Amino acid sequence: MIPEELEEEMLSHPGLGAVYRKLKEELAGADDTRSLEEIRVAYLGRKGAITSVLQGIKELPPEERRSTGRLANLLKQGLEEELASRLEGIRQRELEESLRRERLDISLPGRRVPYGTRHLLSSIIEEIEDIFIGLGYRVAEGPEVELDYYNFEALNTPDWHPSKSLQDTFYVEIPGSGRRDVLLRTHTSPVQIRVMESTPPPVYIIAPGKAYRHDVPDATHSPMFHQVEGLAVDEGISLGDLKGTLETFAKRMFGEDRKVRFRPHFFPFTEPSAEVDVSCNMCGGAGCRVCKGTGWLEILGAGMVDPNVFAYVGYDPEKWSGFAFGMGVERIALLKYGVPDIRFFFDNDLRLLRQY
Amino acid sequence: MRVPLKWLSEYVDLSLDPGELAELLTASGTSVEGVEKVGGEWRGCVVGRILEVSPHPSADRLSVCRVDVGGAARDIVCGAPNVRPGMVSPVALPGSKLPDGRNIGEAEIRGVVSSGMLLSERELGISDDAAGIMELDEALQPGMDLAEALEAEDTVLVLEITPNRPDCLSVLGVAREVAALTGRRVRRPRFELLEEGEPAASEVKVEILEADRCPRYVARLIEGVSIGPSPWWLRNRLRAAGMRPINNVVDVTNYVMLELGQPLHAFDFHLLRDGHIIVRCRRDGERLTTLDGVERDLHPDDLLICDPGGPVALAGVMGGENTEVNPGTVKVLLESAHFSAPGIMLTSRRHDLSSEASYRFERGVDPAGCLFAADRAAFLIRETAGGRVRRGAVDVVAKPEVLLPRELSLRVERAARLIGITLSASEARGMLESLEMEVSPAVMGGESPADVVGEGSAPPRVVAGGEGDGEVLRVKVPTFRPDLEREIDLVEELARVYGYHRIPATLPRTSNNVGFLTREQGLRREIARVMVGCGLHEAITWAFIPSWWMDLLDPGGKLLPERPLRLRNPLSEEASVMRPTLIPGLLEAARFNINRRIPDVHIFEMGRVFLPLGEGDLPHEPLLLGCLVCGRWVPKGWDQEAVEADFFVLKGILETLARALHVEDCSLRREEYPFLHPGRSAKVLLNGEEAGFLGTLHPRVAEALDLPGGAEIMELDVCTLVKAAREVPPYREIPRFPAVNVDLAVVVREEVEAWEVEGVIREAGGELLREVRLFDLYRGGQLAEGEKSLAYNLVFYALDRTLRDEEARRAVEGIVRALGEKLGARLR
Ligand SMILES: [Zn+2]
Repeated sequence: MIPEELEEEMLSHPGLGAVYRKLKEELAGADDTRSLEEIRVAYLGRKGAITSVLQGIKELPPEERRSTGRLANLLKQGLEEELASRLEGIRQRELEESLRRERLDISLPGRRVPYGTRHLLSSIIEEIEDIFIGLGYRVAEGPEVELDYYNFEALNTPDWHPSKSLQDTFYVEIPGSGRRDVLLRTHTSPVQIRVMESTPPPVYIIAPGKAYRHDVPDATHSPMFHQVEGLAVDEGISLGDLKGTLETFAKRMFGEDRKVRFRPHFFPFTEPSAEVDVSCNMCGGAGCRVCKGTGWLEILGAGMVDPNVFAYVGYDPEKWSGFAFGMGVERIALLKYGVPDIRFFFDNDLRLLRQY
Repeated sequence: MRVPLKWLSEYVDLSLDPGELAELLTASGTSVEGVEKVGGEWRGCVVGRILEVSPHPSADRLSVCRVDVGGAARDIVCGAPNVRPGMVSPVALPGSKLPDGRNIGEAEIRGVVSSGMLLSERELGISDDAAGIMELDEALQPGMDLAEALEAEDTVLVLEITPNRPDCLSVLGVAREVAALTGRRVRRPRFELLEEGEPAASEVKVEILEADRCPRYVARLIEGVSIGPSPWWLRNRLRAAGMRPINNVVDVTNYVMLELGQPLHAFDFHLLRDGHIIVRCRRDGERLTTLDGVERDLHPDDLLICDPGGPVALAGVMGGENTEVNPGTVKVLLESAHFSAPGIMLTSRRHDLSSEASYRFERGVDPAGCLFAADRAAFLIRETAGGRVRRGAVDVVAKPEVLLPRELSLRVERAARLIGITLSASEARGMLESLEMEVSPAVMGGESPADVVGEGSAPPRVVAGGEGDGEVLRVKVPTFRPDLEREIDLVEELARVYGYHRIPATLPRTSNNVGFLTREQGLRREIARVMVGCGLHEAITWAFIPSWWMDLLDPGGKLLPERPLRLRNPLSEEASVMRPTLIPGLLEAARFNINRRIPDVHIFEMGRVFLPLGEGDLPHEPLLLGCLVCGRWVPKGWDQEAVEADFFVLKGILETLARALHVEDCSLRREEYPFLHPGRSAKVLLNGEEAGFLGTLHPRVAEALDLPGGAEIMELDVCTLVKAAREVPPYREIPRFPAVNVDLAVVVREEVEAWEVEGVIREAGGELLREVRLFDLYRGGQLAEGEKSLAYNLVFYALDRTLRDEEARRAVEGIVRALGEKLGARLR
């Protein structure tokens, strides 16, 4: 309260010594705001003990005035500081106590804000769309109920062609019509034809959507499934461009470390044609059950647009060339996420939906 | 196509092991689907020579054979009647295992120890013949491993042959491909055919009435054959290639088909009338029973092989029973013909009948190969079934042009550009020649490519073997490659032989292409994200539904199309109608989960439905958004009560969606739907346009579906949603002066609806009333029966000044007056 070297002088002071001694005693016993306030009133109030000493100074003999005034003022100032700091300490303690009382069990669950999930197939389609949008493609659409012309004929697959499998195709009855050439598209490729029919080249599109085949459902077959078709037609497009495009896609989709392989194949509407494999991630290419021991997983079919297809849509094959590709979304999901059975995608079991 | 490697190696030197060969073929487009080992099922079986045969001491029917199996001779008890000294037969030694799973050990048979077993063909799994012990070539060394002695062990490549490569549907064809890929030469089978007697033409007449569909027919005549089982080597190869041996003559026709790719057919000559073959289409009323025992109604377009009495074979597909080779056959007419692909394809499809022959014909067979195949088969029949091959073949060529090799032009520079490589004319030439094409010296192209490609144009100018731009090669395509018809087909061959793996990967040099989603496509994603943000899980349900849904949802046929789209060939009745609404799929998904004890289902789907349009038109396929919630919306928690997934939860989702898409006006209008609760259903209006419906599933439907808790459902047309959405709303001024908040509680009759009260408030409140929010709905207490209290929080403000309380008070008075007059409301 007061500097230590003045302690002796204060105690021995005739007027202040007793006040000081009493004050020290009272302060020692004060531990709440009320008793501290009482002390403030008793010493520093208008009629307080220290105030009285200060008021009585002018009546003292002149030689005592100076030292008494100095000591009394020191004591007043010291007490004010002491009271302020004592009060701050008490407030601090009271706050801490109240904070302790407000402690929560933070391990209780948070209040639920509902959140849903996209279907895995939709997410994959969007991912594919975004990769190709980044490569300059737009997204095209076409009907799911199609004409034979768009699904087969204009894709260079006439009736007698071995790759036109009628048993695989669902045919649709149009009410009030005898038409027999209406079907559920067996791939999303007819969108190619519809786009080229209505748009002059260059064309860069992908066409995601549902397709249908007359397959009894099992672990790897479904009568309804999703495909993404792609088409690029421009001047000077080469098989190398197809390779580069699909390599870029496969690495973005499956990982930069995956290897990509192109094998010659056959499709009626492309020539030259290719099947594209990525290295198996289950075994790292050594061969396992998933890749049937080959180390490779087939992910899509592709090729250069056949000049016959250009003839159907009125593009000049001498001026334009292009490539097309198609991939099964379910297959990509099976490979990328290890879903064991294609039927799971259409059960809509919430225990599966909630995983993605 | 199954290709046994031992067989393959007869025609080409195989310098690679099976794995490397498989990789090479796969990389060139002939995908190898498997590499199988065959013949490993006879472990422990050896060749034995019978030294002595003595009767069993205590069993009449058994004999005891002393057999040399290399090393010490042993006694084997046997019940077969055909054992005799000197016979060489397969023996299973003790410790061996038969293909049927039997383990062979030492056995005591009626007092005699038999150390092993003499084997019949059935016990070896070779044929059904169990009549006697199998006889082997007497030159075989006793003790030799049986599989080795019979050359049964082999590796078989299982190839996926694409439809454009019928030339690879034969062992020789695959050998040709392997030769091209490995730089070897292919060896055709060599044999010397001995011909005897009168010319075949003296007894056989072939008449082709359909030249386009049967450009060539070769017949040979073999007499004096004796039908019986084929020799082991022939049966062994057929088995390895996946065909069942039948008898020597039929086996030879199959063998030559597998070897050369030319399907053959053998007729019993005596069953053919007059030795007269007529190739023609069906005549009225004709029927034919094919070799599979099916009596077939023929189609007017079916091509038939006939004799003067009628059909004897469905050309190129299957022979007829009436002329089948049988155990009594002694004279055989061998057919080796060419049929064009489309006709065979359509006939095969019409009769739902596919055979090894039709499979090849519908893909394309080499028309130039008929005679060689006939000769080869005749030679082998004489070898295996005896008899005499009559002099000469009857070879009728009805359309000679099919025998000419096709000539194509190839612009080397264009090919290189399409592939994306650099290629010189001589490199291109070398690649094509490796595929047995004849390439003439490089020539300079005419003015336009069409001049070069077209038939009958002026001959191109010959350049003295120079190389450079614009070079054109003239290419003669062998007749066994029917797939090579155009320049682009040659480009593919070049890319294949060059190797896809060597083509540099590049990206198109896109000129002015920008990729983006259209506004509608972007908004669809946004809609899905909002649904997810609202707590719904995206479902994808079947596009085909059972037809009973139509009656359940819409018994009166008022709403859904009266005649929905049906599949002509559904997988089942349960998947026969193309959905006109998403609701059935969503309800099925709810049922699926509820049955698995997941009672709280919150799902949405965005998908197309199918609505028939006018006659003959393709259906309309609107994209719809469907939502379903049932069970609890929020389960009871430690801090809050459960919230049921009710009407207002779904309405809240609709409002959130409208809010997120900045739809200005989203409202419900009471409307009844046959599948919704009549008191809890509404039409959804977006900016006044009908967008769909929302409501509680009708209890009748819920009961029929066994959904005791019911469900709330909504369906919106995405196109209407997109139209109503406003992507970036224009700036609206932010109030700079404080607002006045007033709470107002009014009592109205129960039948007065909230929208009416709010409408009156807004109308009477004037332009200073900016917000109206219902914050309490109260019944009971001091209110009379049939009354309810609605409490609103009203916000007033002006944009240009601080509103005086007086102004707000006057506005509220006006509101209260209007409520009283229009709705009989009073202040609470
Ligand atoms: Zn693997």
